[in-house]
Amino acid sequence: MRQAVGKSVGPAGPTRFLCLLAVLAAVGLLPWFSGRDPALTVLRARSAEQEATPEALAAIREDLGLGAGPLSLLGRWASGLLRGDLGTSWVSGTEVLPSVVSGLQVSLGLMGAAFAVAVLLACALVAPVLVRGRGTAGAFAAMLAAVPEFLLATVALLVCGVWLGLLPTSGWAGPAYLVLPAVALGVPAGGLLGRLVADALPAVLDERWVELWRGAGVGRARVAAAALRRVLPPLVPQFGMAAVGLTGSAVAVETVFAVPGIGRTALGAAKSQDLPLLQGSVLALLALGLVAGALAALVRRRLLGPALRDAGLTLPAARPFRTRPALPLTLAVLLGVTIGWGLLRDPYAVDTTARLLPPSWAHPLGTDGLGRDVLARLGHGAATTVGTAAAVCALSLLAALALGFLPRVAEGASDIANALPPVIAGILVAAAAGPGTRGAALAVALISWPPLAAHAAALVQEVRASTFLTAQRAIGASPWWILTRHVLPSVAAPVTRHAVLRLPGIALALASLGFLGLGAQPPTPEWGLLLDESRAYVERAPWAALAPAVALALLAGLAVSGSAATRGRTRRNGSARAGRPRTDDKDRPRHPKAPAGGRDGDDETLAGAPHA
Amino acid sequence: MNQHTALLDVRDLVVRYGAVTAVDHVSFTVDAGETLALNGPSGCGKSSTVAAVLQLRRPENGSVRFEGRELTTLSERELRPLRPRMQPVFQDPYGSLSPRHRIRDAVAEPLRVQGRWDAAGPARVAALLDRVGLDPAYGDRFPHELSGGQCQRAGIARALASEPRLLVLDEPVSALDPSVRAGVLNLLADLQDDLGLAYLFICHDRAVVRHFADRAVEMRGGRLVPA
Repeated sequence: MRQAVGKSVGPAGPTRFLCLLAVLAAVGLLPWFSGRDPALTVLRARSAEQEATPEALAAIREDLGLGAGPLSLLGRWASGLLRGDLGTSWVSGTEVLPSVVSGLQVSLGLMGAAFAVAVLLACALVAPVLVRGRGTAGAFAAMLAAVPEFLLATVALLVCGVWLGLLPTSGWAGPAYLVLPAVALGVPAGGLLGRLVADALPAVLDERWVELWRGAGVGRARVAAAALRRVLPPLVPQFGMAAVGLTGSAVAVETVFAVPGIGRTALGAAKSQDLPLLQGSVLALLALGLVAGALAALVRRRLLGPALRDAGLTLPAARPFRTRPALPLTLAVLLGVTIGWGLLRDPYAVDTTARLLPPSWAHPLGTDGLGRDVLARLGHGAATTVGTAAAVCALSLLAALALGFLPRVAEGASDIANALPPVIAGILVAAAAGPGTRGAALAVALISWPPLAAHAAALVQEVRASTFLTAQRAIGASPWWILTRHVLPSVAAPVTRHAVLRLPGIALALASLGFLGLGAQPPTPEWGLLLDESRAYVERAPWAALAPAVALALLAGLAVSGSAATRGRTRRNGSARAGRPRTDDKDRPRHPKAPAGGRDGDDETLAGAPHA
Repeated sequence: MNQHTALLDVRDLVVRYGAVTAVDHVSFTVDAGETLALNGPSGCGKSSTVAAVLQLRRPENGSVRFEGRELTTLSERELRPLRPRMQPVFQDPYGSLSPRHRIRDAVAEPLRVQGRWDAAGPARVAALLDRVGLDPAYGDRFPHELSGGQCQRAGIARALASEPRLLVLDEPVSALDPSVRAGVLNLLADLQDDLGLAYLFICHDRAVVRHFADRAVEMRGGRLVPA
């Protein structure tokens, strides 16, 4: 048991490597996975007039090397990759590598600017905590971190670009073009970073050394600097993950602002079935993410030095901010009422005489470009978005419960899922299976089960190691009894709660895929798709964009406040439990029996002296 | 000699963890109704012996005969109907009961598992709680709502529900406060008198051993040594 625990806690190097190879192979095999016939796509792209005769298609298949089996396809792609040859675009017939490199240059510039925005914002969030010495960045930072960047990009475009006319909103022709995309990309990341640091700071500022330093007359600035130095290293891996998240966000932001970066290239290639270009750009995005992660690990090692080896520096537990349950309940009721009202109306009724009407009694949220009722589309869209999210959630939960019994699988997969933003998974799935609700759900499910499985695995291990399970075997209980009466109930309840908390996040991921055109297809009402459709006439009918934007913001708020409220509750339960043995007969807190060996102090413990 | 009368007969028991031999050719017997104390410092292999006797961990070598039957050669399935006759009581009073189940259900579980649950079940559970000195009203509580001593009593009630002939007491009082300890030890002594139980009593406190056990063997470094 001990060995098993030790193994799973240690680095999952080989599993991680295998998972990486699997993802690479999946990218390499995209042409083979692709359900639709790419030859047709290529033919259309190259010459619109030519008849799609079987001979012409066969010639193109031969040309693309699609006739060969998957292994030779993979081999050819991998050897080309090693020589720096990413192939030629199916659509334009040009080399892939130059387009990837130019896209990468643009994206790196954008990400650098976004990173600067993120760091500035994080400093602004952290500064008050450092100055006051207590408190947290609280709900505001959490909200910023939860706002999906495609929503932020659309709102920024609407407010700064269109209404105020301050900044250019599309293209890539100078520093002014950089501002809005960098803000849209940097703000959620900055909210996340700021929140991580600000939440960890109060506990660190309560540590003994701070008092000691202050007593010795050390200035506030030096204490603050030392506290930051203390907080940062353990958080650096999280910063790496935030950087990985940026690669996914870049797709949406570059698309909204028409920035010719690598993310937009990947999305365009996925939509036009230009698989070599897609392979190249997805590979570049993955490489960006991996480099960011490696950089984070390097920085952490530099910051910590020998302390890393001794595993001596762990942060005290962050004190999460708490929300009263009233806030998530209000948000949920507000969303519920809007959705319920909308569900009573017809989302498909087209009325060309009532195009782009402002809100009125007949259309409480106005109408869209085809004269359809926005409220009705919002309500039915919730059914699509949240319904799909619930299905994805249930699927991930089942997978997590099944795979939770194989901790090493769960851990390796969870590493890769962390390195793969949902948008990139969505692009890959859409390229293989074509865009659609099912493909988007599959993509989100692929990356949403591993964290749940990791949670389940940890719980299974904990339960299996407990004495009361041994006691079950001793009364002659069958393995089935133990599994169904003891292991599953202990694991299923917390993991289900975890899955429910992830529901709004999953819905947002689905909406972002819908927004990018990788999910539900028109005329299906889906929140991301609604937002995307309304962008076309946002100057004339901002309310049509506002409705789905507000709904998505409410959902983000629900994601944050719901988990904060639950966390507050479980913490309270936990502390009630920790104080439990002090009832009537004054015995000591529970003293779990350590595994045999290395228990030299036990004789003293039995005497009852040290703890009494 | 007394093999036909010995309730538990352990011969040449060997437990290894990889290259480490935790229990090295240990032999002892426990007769019906008597208490054998297995005494020794921490890390001497007591707990490994317990696990091997209870067949919770199969020993690498040696024989464990209980009520005249060899246990080491039985399959898990064959062992299951025999397990209730030999019940453990563990050191950690909270850890031995599922935190998710009420005391009542924890005590009733052996009856349910062993197919002996019927209309008289609730009354039996109440009687068992009463027998170990717990007010049956405590049956509605969860383990974390009880004190360590009360929890240990509930654990003993649960062990009794299986109608065992041998209790394997793995340091049953070492996690308890000294004032509570005497109460639990007295309860165990009373139960032995009333029910004719045999105890294999694991302990590392010589004073308790002298007071409580009929016979004692001493264990050091995985071997039995002269006491």
